[in-house]
Amino acid sequence: MTDNVIEAPVIEAKGLAKHFGDFAALRGATFSVPLGRIVGVIGANGAGKTTMLNAVLGLSSYEGELKVLGLDPSKQRDALMKDVCFIADVATLPKWMKVFEVLDYVEAVHPKFDRSKAMDFLSRTQVPLDRKVRALSKGMTVQVHLAVVMSIDAKLLVLDEPTLGLDIIFRKQFYQSLLEEYFDEDRTVIITTHQVEEVEHILTDVMFLKDGEIVLEADMDALTQQFIEVMVAPGKEEEALALKPIKQSTTFGRATCVYKNIDRETLATLGETRRLGLADIFVATMTGEGQ
Amino acid sequence: MKTFVALVKREFLDGKNGYFRTPLILAGLTVAMVVLSVAGFGTVIHIEDIQLDDVHNLGDVLTRAVAQKPEHVPAGIALAYWGMSTMTWIAFPFVVFFSLLSSLYEERRDRSILFWKSMPVADWQEVLAKLVMPVFVAPFIFLGIVIAAQLAIALLLSLVVMFQGGPVLALWPLGFMFKGWFSMGFQYLIMALWALPLFAWVLLVSAYANRMPFLWAVLTPIVLIVGEDLVLGTHRLAGWIGEHMAGWQRDAYHDISVNGHIEGPRDLYQIAIGHLQWDAISYSFTSLHFWLGLVVAAGFIWGAIELRKRAV
Repeated sequence: MTDNVIEAPVIEAKGLAKHFGDFAALRGATFSVPLGRIVGVIGANGAGKTTMLNAVLGLSSYEGELKVLGLDPSKQRDALMKDVCFIADVATLPKWMKVFEVLDYVEAVHPKFDRSKAMDFLSRTQVPLDRKVRALSKGMTVQVHLAVVMSIDAKLLVLDEPTLGLDIIFRKQFYQSLLEEYFDEDRTVIITTHQVEEVEHILTDVMFLKDGEIVLEADMDALTQQFIEVMVAPGKEEEALALKPIKQSTTFGRATCVYKNIDRETLATLGETRRLGLADIFVATMTGEGQ
Repeated sequence: MKTFVALVKREFLDGKNGYFRTPLILAGLTVAMVVLSVAGFGTVIHIEDIQLDDVHNLGDVLTRAVAQKPEHVPAGIALAYWGMSTMTWIAFPFVVFFSLLSSLYEERRDRSILFWKSMPVADWQEVLAKLVMPVFVAPFIFLGIVIAAQLAIALLLSLVVMFQGGPVLALWPLGFMFKGWFSMGFQYLIMALWALPLFAWVLLVSAYANRMPFLWAVLTPIVLIVGEDLVLGTHRLAGWIGEHMAGWQRDAYHDISVNGHIEGPRDLYQIAIGHLQWDAISYSFTSLHFWLGLVVAAGFIWGAIELRKRAV
C-alpha cells in the first residue's frame, strides 16, 4: 500500500445532495472523513443523518460527488462492502435464520470475516447459537449483529443507532469493546445515536446536521474547549453578563453562564468553570445560541 | 461461485418448508397409503389391458401379468410408480410460485435487505440465486424425494409379494425406472425454459410491489388480457402465456399424436422416455417463440436486478 492510499480520506463528499420529490433531504453536504477516527453524526430526527449514511453505504442514489475508499458507492456497493460494514437499523438480521446459520452465511460470503472472533464475542453473551433470530430478545439480536460486524476486518464501520433498546450495562460494554478491541488507527467508525452522553467520550470528531445541511464539523477536543460553562460567584453577575454569554440560567440560586470562544483563565475569575457536554453544545448550536 | 452456492443454500433454508418438508410429507403420505392398501387385501394395482379375474392378491396379479403380457409388465410397473408419486408433484407449482413471489418482497418488508446489502454480494447474484433455487434446484429436490418414495414403495410391495408368492423381480424394472427419472428431470428443464418468462415476471413483481405482490402478479396479466380483448378483440397475451405455460407441447408432440401407435404401457413409456425429449428439444430450439420468451425473461430479470439495486 502506498502512502498516497493511506493518506486518502475514507469518505470524500462534494455537494452531496438527495431529493425525494420536492423535499431536499440533503442539501449539498461537503465533508471528508480520514482514517483512524470515530465520528459522531448528530442531528434531530429528519435532519438527514440516515440519508447521508445511505448514500455513503451505496444504499441509495445521490447527486454530487462521493467517494468512499476510492469507490463510487452507488455503482460499486458489492466491492465496497469488502471494506465497509454497517448496522443500518435495529433488527435487520433475518428472523428465520438460526444464529449459527447467520455465521455460516457470513463466513461463506465475506472474505474478511473471522468466525472465531465472532464466537468469542458471543461466548461472552447468553445468546444460544441454535436459536432462531426470531426467538431472541431484542438485546440478543443486537449482540449477534454486533458480534458479526466486529469480527469483520473492515476499514469503515457505520453504526446507525447501534444500541437502541439495549440496557445500560450492555451499552457501556459495547462502546468499551468497540474502543478497546475494534478501533485502531487503520479504521474509521461513524456512529449516529440519540444517547450522545454515552458516546461523547469515545468520539474524535463530530458532525452536526440540521435540515439536510452540515452546520458544524469539528474535532472533539477543539470543540469542547470552545464551550465553557461558569457557575458565577455571588457579586460577579454583572461582570459575567458583560462577557456576553450565549446562554444563561439559574441553578440553586446561582447564575450559570455558557460562553463560546472566551479564554478559560478570564472565565475562571468569574467562578467555577467546567466544559460543556456534547449534548449541551449540540442544543446550543441548534438553537442558534452558539452561532 | 462459493458465494453463489452460499446464496442458494440460504434460499433453501429460507424456504425449507416448501422445498423439502412439503414434498417429504406428501411422499410419506403416498407411501403410507400404499402400505395401508396392500396391508388390507393386496389387490391394489390395476393395470390396463390385464385381466383380473380369479386373482386374490398382488402376487396373483403379478404372476398373471407376467404370464400374459410379459413385454408390458416392466413399463407398466414403472408407470404405476409414477402414478403413485403424482401427489408429491401437486405441491410443486405452488412452491415455485410463492417462493418467487416472496423472494424479493419479504426481505424488503422485514428490513433484512439491509443486512444482506451489508455483505459484499452483488445484487445480480442475489436475484439469480432467488431464481435458481425455486426454478432449477427445487424440482430436483422434489425428484429426489419422489425417487426415494418409488424405491420405498417397490421395497414394500416386494415384501408383500414375497409373502404372497409372486415374481418379486417384476417389481424392479430398474432400467425403466432409471430412464424415467432421467427423462422427468430433462423434460422439466425444457418446460422450465419455456416458462422462464413467467417465472421471471413473478420475480419482477416481487422486486417491485410494495404491497400485495400476489395481486400485482395475477391481476396485471388478467387486466391486460381483458383490455386486449375489449380494445383490439384479440387474445395474443393469453395465447402467449398459455403457450409458455405448457401449450407449446401440443405443437412439439404433434407428430406423436398423429403418427404414434400406442398399444399398452410399453409403447407409452417408450415415447415418454425416448421421442418426447428429442421432439421437445428439436421443436424448442428451432422455435422463435422459445427464444423470444428467453429474451423477455432476461428483460424481467434485468428489471428485478435494477430494482434490487435501488431497494432499501
